[in-house]
Amino acid sequence: MALAGLLVTAIVAFIVVVLFISWFSNPPFGWGNAPDQPIAFPHTVHAGAVEDGGHAIQCEFCHRNATTGAAATVPAVEVCVICHKQINGANAKADVAEPETLINIQRVIDKHVDGRPIDWERVHRLPDHVRFVHEAHLRFLTQGEEREVTLPIGNQEAMQLPVPVQEACTVCHGDVALMEEVQPQQGQSLKMGTCLDCHKENSVSTDCTVCHK
Amino acid sequence: MPNAQFEHKWGMVADLDKCTGCQACVIACQAENNIPINTKDYFLQRRAYEWIRIERYWEGEYPNVKARFMPVLCQHCENAPCEPVCPVFATYHNEEGLNVQVYNRCVGTRYCINNCPYQVRMFNFWHPNWPARMENQLNPDVTVRSRGITEKCTFCVQRIRRGELQVEARDGNRLNDETISGGNYDPACVQACPTNALMFGDLQDSNAAIKPYFDDVNAHPGHGEHDRETRGYRLLEEMNTRPSVIYLKKIDKYPLEAGH
Repeated sequence: MALAGLLVTAIVAFIVVVLFISWFSNPPFGWGNAPDQPIAFPHTVHAGAVEDGGHAIQCEFCHRNATTGAAATVPAVEVCVICHKQINGANAKADVAEPETLINIQRVIDKHVDGRPIDWERVHRLPDHVRFVHEAHLRFLTQGEEREVTLPIGNQEAMQLPVPVQEACTVCHGDVALMEEVQPQQGQSLKMGTCLDCHKENSVSTDCTVCHK
Repeated sequence: MPNAQFEHKWGMVADLDKCTGCQACVIACQAENNIPINTKDYFLQRRAYEWIRIERYWEGEYPNVKARFMPVLCQHCENAPCEPVCPVFATYHNEEGLNVQVYNRCVGTRYCINNCPYQVRMFNFWHPNWPARMENQLNPDVTVRSRGITEKCTFCVQRIRRGELQVEARDGNRLNDETISGGNYDPACVQACPTNALMFGDLQDSNAAIKPYFDDVNAHPGHGEHDRETRGYRLLEEMNTRPSVIYLKKIDKYPLEAGH
């Protein structure tokens, strides 16, 4: 009898733990860890502010399609090599010449020489039935006349528009420039409710076919 | 309409005088909308997926026979019989005159399919699959529908949305006949039609080429088609579903009686 009780308790506890993990490992809680990338790419160094030791490269310099099309896209190796042709092991400055950094840079250059793409692990994934056009959202945030809006996502403070592109990206993605590794957690849930709240707030159509395909 | 800047009501005109029954529209639709490849089995079970189909009719007695063709797609009815019967509101009419199917809401009761007088709604009886190397040609703008839900023609809403974003939201111009065909925002069937038998346009645009046909048919409703100035008519007009697709009668140069 005691054994049966123990068994039932164990099974229930197992189910609870599984549900707990599967619920909390999703946004907005984001207990899921960042996936291992084939090449360590620190956004802090590339996009971070100059005062923090970064190079303050603008988001759209690498994610080129974000301002012109639906997907933001991950840059081609050629885009990396625009800079890393010069910034490599041969002429590294003493202060950044950590062996690990140089190995990673050499991997990028090797990929370029081989003419092969880098197999990045995807961090954020949009469901197949959702259409999100980066260009349209960036146009709303970065263009038009001066206005004040309250976006019902993130900190919900009034926001002066238009803003520069880097700031616009942080509205949904969080401050990626401060992330050593891009985390699956994005600061807010980015579930359908988040989209709808923002669409209603800014009198954008909430017709199903605007976002669903 | 992503920015509610312009109102639209989309419509189509199918000119049966120009239709040769070549099935280019069927193939174009298949490719654009990620429709699974129909096998002989699917057709024999009458479960083939075709968002637009060519109906073929024979007229006359052998040897004095003529083939008649008619493209039939979702008519995007204003009084759509499929909409009120859906228990989960998976199909509804949006503000642009499109009859929309929301795949994620659909639970597959098939009430809508049974209530559609035009038989243009398709049920996914099987898990969709393609030969492995063809999966890279799937259209990323269209969902791959799973098994157990209903699907149908969308008037290629993904192209309309793209047009609204690129022409209206970005450049501030209204989508009209010229910009629609110039930017490839036509539905795939219209774009593929070699004889231009299919015409697509916006009924809110007073200059649209399809507008006179709709005005004429609306002005002479019901069975008043003899009074009409154009060749326009709607399918199953007596059901008062008020389709957004209008057909233009075929004018036969050599009638059957003449023995040609």
